[in-house]
Amino acid sequence: AAEEPGAAFSSAWRREEVPEKPNYALKLTLVGHTAAVSSVKFSPDGEWLASSSADRVIIIWGAYDGKYKKTLYGHNLEISDVAWSSDSSCLVSASDDKTLRIWDVRSGKCLKTLQGHNDYVFCCNFNPASTLIVSGSFDESVKIWEVKTGKCLKTLTAHSDPVSAVHFNSMGSLIVSGSYDGLCRIWDAASGQCLKTLAVDDNLPVSFVKFSPNGKYILTSTLDSTLKLWDYSRGRCLKTYTGHKNEKYCVFANFSVTGGKWIVSGSEDNLVYIWNIQTKEIVQKLQGHTDVVIAAACHPTENIIASAALENDKTIKLWMSDY
Amino acid sequence: MEGDGSDPEPPDAGEDSKSENGENAPIYCICRKPDINCFMIGCDSCNEWFHGDCIRITEKMAKAIREWYCRECREKDPKLEIRYRHKKSRERDGNERDSSEPRDEGGGRKRPVPDPDLQRRAGSGTGVGAMLARGSPSPHKSSPQPLVVTPSQHHQQQQQIKRSARMCGECEACRRTEDCGHCDFCRDMKKFGGPNKIRQKCRLRQCQLRARESYKYFPSSLSPVTPSESLPRPRRPPPTQQQPQPSQKLGRIREDEGAVASSAVKEPPEATATPEPLSDEDLTLDPDLYQDFCAGAFDDHGLPWMSDTEESPFLDPALRKRAVKVKHVKRREKKSEKKKEERYKRHRQKQKHKDKWKHPERADAKDPASLPQCLGPGCVRAAQPGSKYCSDDCGMKLAANRIYEILPQRIQQWQQSPCIAEEHGKKLLERIRREQQSARTRLQEMERRFHELEAIILRAKQQAVREDEESNENDSDDTDLQIFCVSCGHPINPRVALRHMERCYAKYESQTSFGSMYPTRIEGATRLFCDVYNPQSKTYCKRLQVLCPEHSRDPKVPADEVCGCPLVRDVFELTGDFCRLPKRQCNRHYCWEKLRRAEVDLERVRVWYKLDELFEQERNVRTAMTNRAGLLALMLHQTIQHDPLTTDLRSSADR
Repeated sequence: AAEEPGAAFSSAWRREEVPEKPNYALKLTLVGHTAAVSSVKFSPDGEWLASSSADRVIIIWGAYDGKYKKTLYGHNLEISDVAWSSDSSCLVSASDDKTLRIWDVRSGKCLKTLQGHNDYVFCCNFNPASTLIVSGSFDESVKIWEVKTGKCLKTLTAHSDPVSAVHFNSMGSLIVSGSYDGLCRIWDAASGQCLKTLAVDDNLPVSFVKFSPNGKYILTSTLDSTLKLWDYSRGRCLKTYTGHKNEKYCVFANFSVTGGKWIVSGSEDNLVYIWNIQTKEIVQKLQGHTDVVIAAACHPTENIIASAALENDKTIKLWMSDY
Repeated sequence: MEGDGSDPEPPDAGEDSKSENGENAPIYCICRKPDINCFMIGCDSCNEWFHGDCIRITEKMAKAIREWYCRECREKDPKLEIRYRHKKSRERDGNERDSSEPRDEGGGRKRPVPDPDLQRRAGSGTGVGAMLARGSPSPHKSSPQPLVVTPSQHHQQQQQIKRSARMCGECEACRRTEDCGHCDFCRDMKKFGGPNKIRQKCRLRQCQLRARESYKYFPSSLSPVTPSESLPRPRRPPPTQQQPQPSQKLGRIREDEGAVASSAVKEPPEATATPEPLSDEDLTLDPDLYQDFCAGAFDDHGLPWMSDTEESPFLDPALRKRAVKVKHVKRREKKSEKKKEERYKRHRQKQKHKDKWKHPERADAKDPASLPQCLGPGCVRAAQPGSKYCSDDCGMKLAANRIYEILPQRIQQWQQSPCIAEEHGKKLLERIRREQQSARTRLQEMERRFHELEAIILRAKQQAVREDEESNENDSDDTDLQIFCVSCGHPINPRVALRHMERCYAKYESQTSFGSMYPTRIEGATRLFCDVYNPQSKTYCKRLQVLCPEHSRDPKVPADEVCGCPLVRDVFELTGDFCRLPKRQCNRHYCWEKLRRAEVDLERVRVWYKLDELFEQERNVRTAMTNRAGLLALMLHQTIQHDPLTTDLRSSADR
């Protein structure tokens, strides 16, 4: 019998019993961006929250008190994605000016600019060792960069449509990439070979993909308002999560493993949806934003969710739960 | 058939050769001769060929003729008219002054626009004028006929009006030779004192056929005109108030002229004046601006080329909005090849871009009469164009009020909850301070050693020389063993090896400089760096002063000075004894003071560096802490706490 996804996650139990539903409540609203926020990420050490926006800046906030810390200037056009390195000292940001920038958080300076893509860079991520950066772009390719030198090590002609998401697994050996052509491909990070192709849906663009924390499953989101959890080695879809609205934007989704095991995702109906991983039912809907919730991130150690919305709203909200 | 009679083909029988009288050669022309060796011209309706001499048309004239009909055909059918070409190759022939058939044909010529320039060009007023008066201006859509056969006794400069993509060469505007000097394009020209930013031909010289619609000029009585014509390209400041007046004068003149040639004038421009509704240039037009111009906001008469009020519906906001969307979609579609529609993007960036550009324009475009009110508190004056305020003061007042209003609240918000970054900062500062302390103590230690060393050296100097002891060094030195000098590579006796190498090294080192631009300024440090100024490279020597081979020469050693080096047993233990050999002779302890001093100095320098680093860190942390709750940061960002009890999202265990 197939492994239950829930049991495979590393546990961080606070209580004995698994509670049925979380009780996320709005705690803080962070105001400061002057245009739509495109992405929010917590730092791996849990101290900071980085948010990228269409106003071409990245703002760093304190994760626990929500206080503004720093603004990183440098990009010429809107920023689509931002990612932390594992030691929380560096950020990489992907922008419409066809470049990626590596920032030193402490000083706020841009360390390197990675040039090479031919079209908007849409998504980026560090590998767990933070020696490599993977980026996906509208020019249908995935590039692997070396952090130290800023050089592009490999270019994978990955897809036939814009690449919407790229992610390393927790070992750093595999890269998953999802694209508007409806395919999810898994690559060997060292050689650049494509190991597996998952035809998620032929006609539907895949708007987001991510490895699960244990690396066995992939979470994909397609533009028919469906999230699916796949066992990619067998190519089987194990769980499907629906109920939210996602037909236009590439909305982030996340695994929440600090308390109960949830799947957290934004939605185009201005709510944040939380599903129980196992039972697939919606356990909570967080209300408060006034525009599409494009990004939702989960804190690495606490039961905190950060959500960000588009230009009608421009705020980031922090929600906290007891479990 | 082209009336180009230069190559007369053997014609078919025309109507004149009614009788094929069995002659071998067909006959032509009114003279009914078969002669085909002279120049002939063929009628385009009856296909009969005529000798140029018989009908008084020279080859040259015919070159300019496009369609030619013989007199009979023209009499039979009054509609047929001779058409001329308007080519560069057109030439005027003075011989054609005589009134002959060509003259009559010339009567059918169209010369609708009595262009004063042209009159001048043609020279004599009487001949041409008469000709022109005779010519009945008939409405013709095609471009007006040029003065092909116009006689002019003295040839003016043959104006070969060139044709190009934007110049037909034949219309009123193309014929103008001089810039009016009053239209917006002229005023932009360098020769009229302009900034040369727009760089377009004079409005009155924009070809009526081929120029861009928005560049053209239409007299007020004519068909509707897109207001954006007189607007410069988007994002540029609009013309100031003085400008309309001279151009308006010009307009009146033009209108007068236009009246002379009444309908004929109207038609060609009208025909070509279909405004292209949504061309790219028009899109950024502001309908408000247009209204203002129409209302004659600047002066009583309004601008001649925009006075037509019929246009207001043409560019009402709805249309403009549509115009915007069109461009928006067009640009997007350009980017996406397949079905990458804009919905796949994370946010509407293009829209935002465009919106951003629009807003400054909107502000720019207002004129005083309908400018918005200045936003300064209590101010009732109109705002400056391109600004929200009437003056700097108002802007400052508003900013001050804004700060007074918002800042206290933000500060309160900030202080409501403990700032975690502050705590971190404080901890960091603590650490840095501790390190600074330790560095300072090390420094003191160094100083102490320094002094000690000096004392030792001093004491050693005071020793008397006892040469007798140990005059012969206990050296079982193998003199046949040769050591190679590190610097110069020569073999040397090991006994003098140290001495030699020191000297050798100094020799090479002194040839290089090592310095920085800044003199050393450290309080409390007695002697560290050499700091000798090198005027050539404008640097201060940054070697250790005791060691610098470039700038400090070894002092001459007097004969009785003792070496004085503290002797050690087993390398580390001091015996308390000193080497008594004269310095000059001692080969073992050559330069020992220098080296020891250098050692101590180096340590001191290191400690200073460390301190410097710590200062730097402290400074960084301090600035970060102050800027965090700085004015700008507070005004731009806000953290709203919904739950006053939970100010810190960390669960208490982790703290």
